[in-house]
Amino acid sequence: MQSLVRNVCRAGSRGAAARLLELAAAPVAAAHPGAAQPSSAVKHLWQPYGLARPIGVDQSVRVQSRVIPAAASGFGHCAKVLVATRGLSTVGNAAEVASDSDDSTSLAVEHPPRIKFKRPDKTARHIMNILNKEAVDKVRSEREIPDVQPGCMIQMRLQVPENKRRELTLKGIVLGRRNAGINTTFRLRRLVSGIGVESVFPLYSPNIKEIKILDRKKVRRAKLYYLRDRVNALKK
Amino acid sequence: MAAASRGLLARLRGLSLSAGGSPRLPFPPSRLFSAEAFVSHSDDDDAGGEGGGGGRIIEARAGVMGPTSRRTGVIGVKCGMSAMWDKWGAKVPITVLWVDDNVVTQVKTAEKEGFFALQLGAGQKKEKHLTKPEVGHFRAQGVPLKRKLREFPVTEDALLPVGTTITVRHFLPGQFVDVTGITKGKGFAGVMKKHGFSGGPASHGASLSHRSGGSTGQRDAPGRVFKNRKMPGRMGGVQRTVKNVWVYQIDPARNLLYLKGQVPGPQGSFVFVKDSIYKKPDTALLPFPTYFTQEGEPEDLEPLIADLGDVDPFMAAD
Repeated sequence: MQSLVRNVCRAGSRGAAARLLELAAAPVAAAHPGAAQPSSAVKHLWQPYGLARPIGVDQSVRVQSRVIPAAASGFGHCAKVLVATRGLSTVGNAAEVASDSDDSTSLAVEHPPRIKFKRPDKTARHIMNILNKEAVDKVRSEREIPDVQPGCMIQMRLQVPENKRRELTLKGIVLGRRNAGINTTFRLRRLVSGIGVESVFPLYSPNIKEIKILDRKKVRRAKLYYLRDRVNALKK
Repeated sequence: MAAASRGLLARLRGLSLSAGGSPRLPFPPSRLFSAEAFVSHSDDDDAGGEGGGGGRIIEARAGVMGPTSRRTGVIGVKCGMSAMWDKWGAKVPITVLWVDDNVVTQVKTAEKEGFFALQLGAGQKKEKHLTKPEVGHFRAQGVPLKRKLREFPVTEDALLPVGTTITVRHFLPGQFVDVTGITKGKGFAGVMKKHGFSGGPASHGASLSHRSGGSTGQRDAPGRVFKNRKMPGRMGGVQRTVKNVWVYQIDPARNLLYLKGQVPGPQGSFVFVKDSIYKKPDTALLPFPTYFTQEGEPEDLEPLIADLGDVDPFMAAD
């Protein structure tokens, strides 16, 4: 009996809590008449099932093809035949499949079609990735952002809102770049009256009005922190 | 479920008080547990699916928000943090919340449950991932299966019928909200991290006591450690509410809520957003009881950004 239930579970992958319930009920009820006449019990339980369903042409054929062998043979055979009929039904036309799934899921709560059940943290990460990409694309469409890489000598105009929106012109060498989507930053080292000053700027900040790349040095590091120890870092 | 049993108790109590002599059961008991009740709930008045319980008719239409009215909140999914620049060039730290398919799943009324509240559901879930009682609850209410349920106490005028969709336009950009969530668990933390103690000295002969909490009490006089003494222990993983969070932007097309600053919990966790208690939003502007989509409204709305004023805050500071 368990094998029957298991087989049916496997068979009813496309459908239907209803079918599973009915099938699960069958062996349980069949246990009461005893093992001597299992086939009649199965037939008895199958009969209202076939009648209760809205019977299309294909379905009536299918239901009967299930009932008759079940009546003729024992449980194991019945399960095999069920698997065989399942194989047939999957190659049937789409309309029949749809109607079958419809009336069988009338017991179940109606799902919205094709919902992905991802873990919320993965969905959240996906949303953030999309937002990040859109923000970067938006900034890139509005103004030209040059490819700032470590080893670049750049000159940039920076507006400082905190200081009455005055514009500064900074010139220095890029020590490194930290990629983080819209929050990508780069580290600029420059000489202010002989003293090295490092500062970090967001690459996509609207306060950076212009970045001009003067020169690209050939470097073999991603982070040029060794330049801090060089006396004439800018001349190199 | 606790709510269901509460409702049942209230109903039984009401029956015993009012009916007295006639012991009419509110429902045939066999019907509740039969498979039939799963299928047809429309004629089953005890299911309470139609517009809430107690025969009260709740309509989904806009009303006027009084000074004591309390709207429902929403269930959001914390997506993560980012930063934006506002139109004045100031950087705004942003937390993105996703209001994922929020639907009213149950209406609790004073007649039935003894209080007014709305239960909201968010997300989707398959039947096989829910317990039978949960599935029964969703079926009785006639709403799709939801991943997360949360009850929000509301006033009577802010009740909404079951099945009402609540979108992110429930909130206005520029208002303040309170965000409740479960904080990230920090594990077993010491007193410096957990309670902000100063710890011990780094040198001057300090031995094994750089991060210790020091003394925990007095001498023989009490002879014990007082209650509520701050000690090391588990930190985080408890419910916290961050109050007065400013709504910077809403994205109705995607149901995204952009808040300024932090909210509790890791990414992907559920948080509950309500109107702020202290910095109350303007009741004349808020959509009450919630925002209903009008006909002929464009589907893809542009994101709405909070009004930042026309005066440059950087120049006006002088």
